Amino acid sequence: MRSVAIVAVAALALSAPASAQTYAIQGGTIHTLTGETYVGTVVVRDGRIADVGPNVQVPNGAEVVDATGRHVYPGMFDAISGLGLTEIGAVDMTNDSREQGEFKPHLQAATAVHPATEHIPVARANGITHTMAAPDGGIIPGQASLVGLDGWTVEEMNIDAGAGMIINYPSLSPGRGFFRFGPPPPFSETEEAYEENVRKLNSWMDAGRAYAQAIDVGRAEPNLELAAMAAVVRGRQIVLLNADSERDIRNAVEWAEEQDIRYVLTGAREGWKVADFLAERDVPVIVGPSQAMPGGPDAAYDEAYANAGRLHAAGVKIAFATFNSANSRTLPYEAAMAVPFGLPHEAALEAVMKNGAEMLGLGDRMGTIETGKIANLIVTDGDPLEIQTQILDLFILGRQVSTDNKHKSLYEKYRARPRGRVVS
Amino acid sequence: MSPRLPTAPRRLAARVPVLALALGLAAAPALQAQPRPDRPMGIRDYAITGARVVTVSGQTIDNGTIVVSDGVITAVGRNVTVPPEAWVIDGTGKTVYPGFFDGMSTLGHPQAGNQRPQFAGFGNQGGNDGPHSWGPEDRPGTHSWKSGAEDLDPDDDRFSSWRNAGFTTALSTRSEGLVPGQAAVLSLGLVDRPRAMVVATPVAMKVKLQDRSFSGYPNSLMGSFAYLKQLYLDAAYYDRAWDAYERDARGKSRPEWDIALEPIRDQIKSGYPVLFPANDRVQTDRAIETAEIMGVPIIVYGLQAGYEAADALARAGASGLVDLDWPEPPRNSDPEAEPNLETLRLWDRAATTPARLEAAGVRFAFYTSGNAASDLIEGMRKAVSQGLSEAGAVRALTLSPAQMFGVADRLGSIEVGKLANLVVTSGDITKAGTRVEMTFIDGDKIDATPAARRAEDSADEEDDDNDDEVMAPVPMAADRGAYRSDPVTLIRNATIMTASNGTIQNGSILIRDGRIAAVGTNVDAPSGARVVDAAGKFVIPGIIDAHSHMAADAINEGAVNVSAMVGIKDVLNPTDVGIYRALAGGVTTINILHGSANPIGGQNAVIKLRWGGDKEDVLIDAHPGIKFALGENTKRDRNPDRYPSTRMGVQDVVRKAFMDARAYQQEWDEWRAGGRQGVEPRRDLKLEALAEILSGDRWVHSHSYRADEILQLIRLADEQGFTVRTFQHVLEGYKVADEIAAHGAGASTFSDWWAYKVEAYDAIPHNAALMTERGVLVSINSDSGEEIRHLNQEAAKAIKWGGLDEESALRLVTLNPAIQLGIDDRVGSIEVGKDADLAIYDANPLGMFAKVEQTYVDGMLYFDIEMDKERQQAIEAEKEALLERYGPSAGGRGTVTDRIAPGPRPDANQELNR
Repeated sequence: MRSVAIVAVAALALSAPASAQTYAIQGGTIHTLTGETYVGTVVVRDGRIADVGPNVQVPNGAEVVDATGRHVYPGMFDAISGLGLTEIGAVDMTNDSREQGEFKPHLQAATAVHPATEHIPVARANGITHTMAAPDGGIIPGQASLVGLDGWTVEEMNIDAGAGMIINYPSLSPGRGFFRFGPPPPFSETEEAYEENVRKLNSWMDAGRAYAQAIDVGRAEPNLELAAMAAVVRGRQIVLLNADSERDIRNAVEWAEEQDIRYVLTGAREGWKVADFLAERDVPVIVGPSQAMPGGPDAAYDEAYANAGRLHAAGVKIAFATFNSANSRTLPYEAAMAVPFGLPHEAALEAVMKNGAEMLGLGDRMGTIETGKIANLIVTDGDPLEIQTQILDLFILGRQVSTDNKHKSLYEKYRARPRGRVVS
Repeated sequence: MSPRLPTAPRRLAARVPVLALALGLAAAPALQAQPRPDRPMGIRDYAITGARVVTVSGQTIDNGTIVVSDGVITAVGRNVTVPPEAWVIDGTGKTVYPGFFDGMSTLGHPQAGNQRPQFAGFGNQGGNDGPHSWGPEDRPGTHSWKSGAEDLDPDDDRFSSWRNAGFTTALSTRSEGLVPGQAAVLSLGLVDRPRAMVVATPVAMKVKLQDRSFSGYPNSLMGSFAYLKQLYLDAAYYDRAWDAYERDARGKSRPEWDIALEPIRDQIKSGYPVLFPANDRVQTDRAIETAEIMGVPIIVYGLQAGYEAADALARAGASGLVDLDWPEPPRNSDPEAEPNLETLRLWDRAATTPARLEAAGVRFAFYTSGNAASDLIEGMRKAVSQGLSEAGAVRALTLSPAQMFGVADRLGSIEVGKLANLVVTSGDITKAGTRVEMTFIDGDKIDATPAARRAEDSADEEDDDNDDEVMAPVPMAADRGAYRSDPVTLIRNATIMTASNGTIQNGSILIRDGRIAAVGTNVDAPSGARVVDAAGKFVIPGIIDAHSHMAADAINEGAVNVSAMVGIKDVLNPTDVGIYRALAGGVTTINILHGSANPIGGQNAVIKLRWGGDKEDVLIDAHPGIKFALGENTKRDRNPDRYPSTRMGVQDVVRKAFMDARAYQQEWDEWRAGGRQGVEPRRDLKLEALAEILSGDRWVHSHSYRADEILQLIRLADEQGFTVRTFQHVLEGYKVADEIAAHGAGASTFSDWWAYKVEAYDAIPHNAALMTERGVLVSINSDSGEEIRHLNQEAAKAIKWGGLDEESALRLVTLNPAIQLGIDDRVGSIEVGKDADLAIYDANPLGMFAKVEQTYVDGMLYFDIEMDKERQQAIEAEKEALLERYGPSAGGRGTVTDRIAPGPRPDANQELNR
């Protein structure tokens, strides 16, 4: 992988107005995820972590959040989700994740992220503080946007609208779709379709290169699609390259190496089968849910549970993603499920807090509790991967955010319903 | 029926015009196009001498003679005098068999096309404009009056190729419909008049389990079983009604004549068999059970995985027809795709079926679902290579089908007096390279055509190539069944979460004969007990899932708005690997429910996860139940439009169903109260199930979402006089928890799913806790093959969201669902006397970091995390060996076609249940 300075990303400083309030989260056990855990204080100012340590002075005028007996962690990062892009799955009009056409590299999820969606408060109440909201469908459905899960407008949520390009690498193992029963088509047909899709994808990459060259010599006509591809081929934008089966992963990785792009692999359902291959090439992986079915009737029952742990053991850097919206809150459980099946607990925490930021080139700004980083923090009464743990306080982009949400208010409303009314 | 056929007129070409008149205009062009006969005929006396005569019924005679006169065998033996009028055929070096008998075909009738399943509710995918069935009362798929003996097309090309392969006789039926109709035994001779081919009819009634000649009910495998049962029950009632009427018509209203029921009435009376499809063990069990209810003997056809069904067939005294078009790996398949083990085993073992049937003493014959008669001979040879005796192979081609179809008095062996249907071959037919030289059909000598000989020669070469490929099947890994079964087991030093009486630290559980014999801190190991040291481990009652759709080959019968007659038990599939995976998640009992396609769905099945067991091993006596459904799924647009489309209509459908059920019950009550005088009323499987709800003998488990629809069903239940046992999903149950509790209903919900559709938009993860707080008996279910594997975690979410205590949370997936299903007297908690259904975790199961180490069902160890690894290795080793033989790199020989097994088909509605 090429290591490129994140010029574009760095240029997009926090566009949201930082909270004028300074906070001091005091007395909690601070899990910095830098290797240090201690009882101390985190100071949050102007959207950033202004100070952190066991013996930090609380600034004058700071609002003190008492975290005594509690735990402070970096907020969790759902590395690919549909948050903001869908409201009710079965109602098409509420879905904005899938545009028509197979190649839409210039579209950005942030354009359609709905700040008022009910899904966002539900997700953050379980400790998810930021996500890559991602379009889906086709081969290049568009760009995923890194958003913080709080804001009156998308500008206030927005960390980076063009944080990554989604590329669904063409598959040689197309699943049997919902309506497709019976045996698969002859393999020659599948191969032809695959080759045609790769040819199309390559033609977009080549066009991006030609366009980049045209930009360099000042002869580029305005072209939104090719400008987007140019950012990819120049390595300015990271690619989230999706592949699930063993063969598709190999093909995708070999393609990405040929194309010489910055990328992370996503999905990787059969990543465990190619763990060494991925480790050798230093390919980071955003894995899907651990709570998933094994790959076929003969597979081991724990195949999906063990996937993340096997990748980790081979030396692959992993992050977790739900690829979902309503279920984004289950992100900690997807990581936790991997723990009894081989993923060390500490690695599981890093995989939902730190690694995603690092692999996307955001490690200098997010993912740990360090001075200068964006203040996405959670205060809990225990291990955030554990079900019974409650999220008590939330800081997103330096703002203290309520854990209230639609579910909580419905719960409280109906819990207060007077008793004794019965039908008939 | 005379064994002697009228012979004289059929040889006269001059009769053709008369025949054309008799058959009508439609048939005339075909006859003009190919005038017959086109060969010399008229010789009626033959003698075959010096041949090896395989009589089948008696000893094989070397150097024997057969004399044939006027279509009948007149002499057989070593020292037979050849009559002077006989034309002598030197049979030296030849072998003579009784003419081969194809056990099931559509010869002379249109062949069934390559049908792809069509699913209601997903548009008219097949362009099918056929008739529509609106319910069990309509029967467009029943053609019981159609006969394989009628409308025979003498120009069917297959007749000559079948003869060339040595077949002189075939069972033939039509192919369209769920009941294609009556089977006839045909003699395959060259005749002027098709009717002259008919040896006997009807000899069987063919049924199928899927068909697309019509749309509507039934559109599921489950529906097909209910449909066939109702059809035969209707015929029995029809018989009673007509018998009574014909005995004394005065004063009685005339029963309605029914073209579909008449032949079945005759079938039940005369007792001829039904031809019922089944491929494997599970399907065979279903077929046998269904035929018992139908009240007729059964011949199972298909049986390519019959190697696992031989014992079941033997026990039932059923016969089998084995499809010799053996399954083979496809050509041009993905070089890296691994076929699943079940498919690999089928490829490896299908041809062992005849040997297994022979060993089990099951009578069987052969047929092919393919298009070539040569498949039958080659397929038979493959079966011989896999252990079928040569005599058994010949018997299956000759006498066995004649016996199965009641024509052994005239066909099937070489005996004096039997029809002269013979085949003369160059040698032993079970050996590759042996060719058919001539056949005699009804005494007519027909030589194999040169084209057929050429085809045989090339097939033989292929056969020769394959000779060295004969391999014994790869031994099967023990991939199912319990790991251990000990009479006495002691689990000790464990943290025991009883679900009924708190948590016991450092406790022990004594298991004896599958039950919990003792629980506590002072339980000693009896001598001989297997001791499991569970220090640091947590034991909970086996998890019970109150809402599952696994282990069933169909889920929705959505073609009708009330499908109370269908039942999961009819399509239960205990070989679903989902069972094992659920065991690995600590689950021991599941409630398999019909889907939510219609307001009144089908009957449920509650099973214990005795992995590897048959249907009778897994089914337990829960209180019978039935699925209802309200809201979006039931009123979703369907094709063709099906009532209802609103929640108003849903209520209307349910109310009217109960009105009908009440009237039905009254009719039966009156008949019983009247001393059972008069005709016993018609049994209606749909209304019977509904009447059971009214009498409290069947519990309603109703899919529901919105608070208002929950109340609507409560009101309707109050009005109709029954109690809803559980609301399923019930995502807005928290809004009307008081009403649910007051009605006495339970609630079975999801832990935290929401927003996937409008009626799930107000779902909250606090639902279970809030309903519990308000006095509702609550369970958490999976409705999913994935979620079922960690229901302990889903239960724990009720601690987080809503603050349940640990024991109440644990009860959500143990004791509470047991009560909801009426099985809490034996499962659901760790108490003395209950079944030893237990799950052992390595940490507190009400958290994320616990994994199941062992799961016991009835004291037997069905999951063990260490033994699982060994089992998985054995599965992989077997698979590797099979892939070497059949994997894509081994090169497929079959074709990529849509072979539809005569059993389950995927249920398209399955994923729309939630």
